[in-house]
Amino acid sequence: MLVIVKSAPDTTDGERGIKFARDMAADIVLLQNGAYFVQGGKLEDLGFVGTAYILDDDRKLRGLKESDFGDRVKEINYDGVVDLMTESDKVVGMF
Amino acid sequence: MEKTFTLFLSTSPYSYENTYTAVKIAESALNKGHAVNLIASGDGVYCFLKKQKAKGITNAEEKFSELIQKGLKVYL
Amino acid sequence: MGKIAIILRKSPYGDINAAEAVRHALGAVSDDMSVLLILVDSGVLLSKKGQDDTGTGFTNLEGILKDCIDMGVDVYAEKLSVGEHHMEAADSVESVKIVDGSEIAELIKEAKTTMIF
Repeated sequence: MLVIVKSAPDTTDGERGIKFARDMAADIVLLQNGAYFVQGGKLEDLGFVGTAYILDDDRKLRGLKESDFGDRVKEINYDGVVDLMTESDKVVGMF
Repeated sequence: MEKTFTLFLSTSPYSYENTYTAVKIAESALNKGHAVNLIASGDGVYCFLKKQKAKGITNAEEKFSELIQKGLKVYL
Repeated sequence: MGKIAIILRKSPYGDINAAEAVRHALGAVSDDMSVLLILVDSGVLLSKKGQDDTGTGFTNLEGILKDCIDMGVDVYAEKLSVGEHHMEAADSVESVKIVDGSEIAELIKEAKTTMIF
């Protein structure tokens, strides 16, 4: 299962998306302002332990560097997002 | 294997990043040979108005017109 | 002409607010108004260095912010918000002043007009 999160960490929508993914043992794709979740250990703080993917365009637009996140976050492009969506049994979002 | 994507766009073209996200996902899915539907609801219908002049941000009319040529099916 | 304070509370690119804030700041300063651009909450992320719009078609808002500064807009970022968004002073575009909440309050008090984005 895949949960797509586009909202920022300081929004209830964004936080709900991550918690929902955590509770469903789903992976997440971080788009738009959701990209900011990779900073400051926010995913860990919310107890998320799955795989997180970040969209390259949205990361670069916001001036986030790859050094802002560890190996647990994988960077993908739109083709990668589409592949993840087609491979997943269920896609939920966007939060 | 070909799949069908159905995107739901409910926001106006220039107030949010959603237009760009929808365009890019639709474009990639179409290029990979998937079928893509887009349902425009609420303010999302404004993405399909003619004579849009936006610059410096995704021009919704221009980009969706290109995608319709590539096979995107749009439902208002 | 009186001072105008433009307050930005939203991060760039996810919605139009940051683009609107810098657009109106540029418009006002071009019209010889004295302009304060005040970044609070996730609005401080507008001042983050290294924004790369390559291939997206978006206007680079870091570039527009620098244009604002070059044209005489005074840009302030609220200190607590900067920290909350994992930034340090060195992560901000040059000439952005990082100030605390009481200084922001004084700036808003002295402005004749306020616009909030």
